[in-house]
Amino acid sequence: MIRVNNVRAGYGDGPDILQGIDLTASGGEIVTILGPNGCGKSTLLKCIAGFVRPRGGAVEMEGRDVSAVAVHDKVKHHRMGFVPQTDNVFSTLTVADNVLLGARHLPVPERNERYAELMAQYPSLASKQERKASALSGGERQILSLARALISTPKVLLLDEPSAGLSPLMMHEVFAAIAAIRDRTGMCIVMVEQNAFEALSVADRAYVLSLGKVAIEGRAADLLADPAMRHLYLGGEPPPAEPHPRLAAVS
Amino acid sequence: MVQFVVDVLIRAVDLALIAIGLSSVYSLIRFPNVALVQYATTGALLALCLQMAGLPLVVAAIAACALVGIIAVVLNVIVFERLLRAGSAIAMIGSLALSMMFSAIFLVTAGPRPKRFELEINPPLRFLGARLTEHQLMSVGISALAIIVFALILFRTDLGRCMRATATNSVLASATGIDTRKVTNTVVFLSGVMAALGGIGLSVKGEMSAQLGLDMLLPVFAAAILGGLGNALGAAVGAVVIAAAETMVTNVNFGPLFGASVLFIPAAYATAASFLLLVVVLLIKPYGLFVSEVKRV
Ligand SMILES: Nc1ncnc2c1ncn2[C@@H]1O[C@H](COP(=O)(O)OP(=O)(O)OP(=O)(O)O)[C@@H](O)[C@H]1O
Ligand SMILES: [Mg+2]
Repeated sequence: MIRVNNVRAGYGDGPDILQGIDLTASGGEIVTILGPNGCGKSTLLKCIAGFVRPRGGAVEMEGRDVSAVAVHDKVKHHRMGFVPQTDNVFSTLTVADNVLLGARHLPVPERNERYAELMAQYPSLASKQERKASALSGGERQILSLARALISTPKVLLLDEPSAGLSPLMMHEVFAAIAAIRDRTGMCIVMVEQNAFEALSVADRAYVLSLGKVAIEGRAADLLADPAMRHLYLGGEPPPAEPHPRLAAVS
Repeated sequence: MVQFVVDVLIRAVDLALIAIGLSSVYSLIRFPNVALVQYATTGALLALCLQMAGLPLVVAAIAACALVGIIAVVLNVIVFERLLRAGSAIAMIGSLALSMMFSAIFLVTAGPRPKRFELEINPPLRFLGARLTEHQLMSVGISALAIIVFALILFRTDLGRCMRATATNSVLASATGIDTRKVTNTVVFLSGVMAALGGIGLSVKGEMSAQLGLDMLLPVFAAAILGGLGNALGAAVGAVVIAAAETMVTNVNFGPLFGASVLFIPAAYATAASFLLLVVVLLIKPYGLFVSEVKRV
């Protein structure tokens, strides 16, 4: 579905932020991109979406070279959905308008049906449909942005840190929702994440970037089990199953 | 009193047409295009030429509006899109330079002497004691209609939704499949059409001079800023406020206030009034009377 071939990219006259990246993602799988701050994860996602034009190499979607195709054309012709890391809602529009904008090209009955489904799925949005998006909390905006991308049932979904700012409970819910979408629709999902443990738990495959290059790639389960990976990129051991003694004392 | 309202409306509609265009385009490209007021003169000049070439005034006006819309889009694509890559300050200075070029072209083609449309002279109509000519009525009606149509486009159509989405967050707009460049150029086209209509309206009611656009520059900017730059309907209200201030200055007899029988303020002070008003309002509400979609995040 998506193939990134030896892509180099950067901003303006600046240096190459991506220095020859290879990546693939197919339908029905979640591919997660991990790595330290500033290593180029968002840049890679923007490159796939088309906001950043590759300086070298190529981005392919469904077998076609789309390196030079405009973002809005990819949304139309390859049914691509994109959730940016920041500024991910239309702040001056209502919650309902935000979600419905994602389904502009759907026929009205289908649009309304999908909208109702999403509102049932995310009660936190349903109760605020007529509010301006600027009046939502950070986590609610995150959910709204996801709902906007999902309403059109895209074939390719690019998510930049969908769990940012979410409470642990909400984060689990969002990841579970993303996994369910994959299983139900066979969507191709590429997800940049900071919460590496959770991301690797739902993802099928993972790429770890470092300084603009792919440092590690492999099956998510393998990476999760790899002690070197844990030590270098996941910040040591997974959180203990038992509550911390002090927390236990509190409760 | 009725005469005052009528005079304000006559002045406000043309101001509003240009100010709405200025504000809408600003919301998308984030710089105020000074050359827009010259599009008004261009529209009046083209309509005048077409009328002299033998077309009926209405046909000439429609053709002139469409032509100016196209000119606005062409200039946006070949001049402003490029300048904007260097930043909005550069683009604004570019638009100032462009409007000076327009002035030069007007002087060469139309000459320094004011011109008039060929119109039948009919006795003015009376309406609740107020006087207005048939042409004034027509012009106000058409301009008001154009403003209403634009408002409907903005709030009731897909183009309007796309426009508001692009103004708020253009990255996200393209991520939802909106061709933001096309949306911008459509709005630029509409702004050109409205500016031309405003220019024609002004010259039908008075005369057409090469200075027409530049004379409008300050009141149009005042109206757009007063309404919260980037807020189209705010600009319309701003235009009414500015027109009221100007009309107050020029038409109201301040004599009784000072114990004289007749005391009019010279018309040359009309612009000063709109500026005084602008400064006072901005001191109290720095973002204009209405918060614009652009400023509120
Ligand atoms: N618009 C931009 N213009 C210039 N440089 C940029 C721009 N966006 C990002 N960069 C630079 O590119 C590098 C990679 O940024 P990127 O946003 O891809 O990092 P990231 O891996 O997503 O980080 P984070 O985890 O903090 O989101 C950084 O050094 C950053 O300074
Ligand atoms: Mg990032």
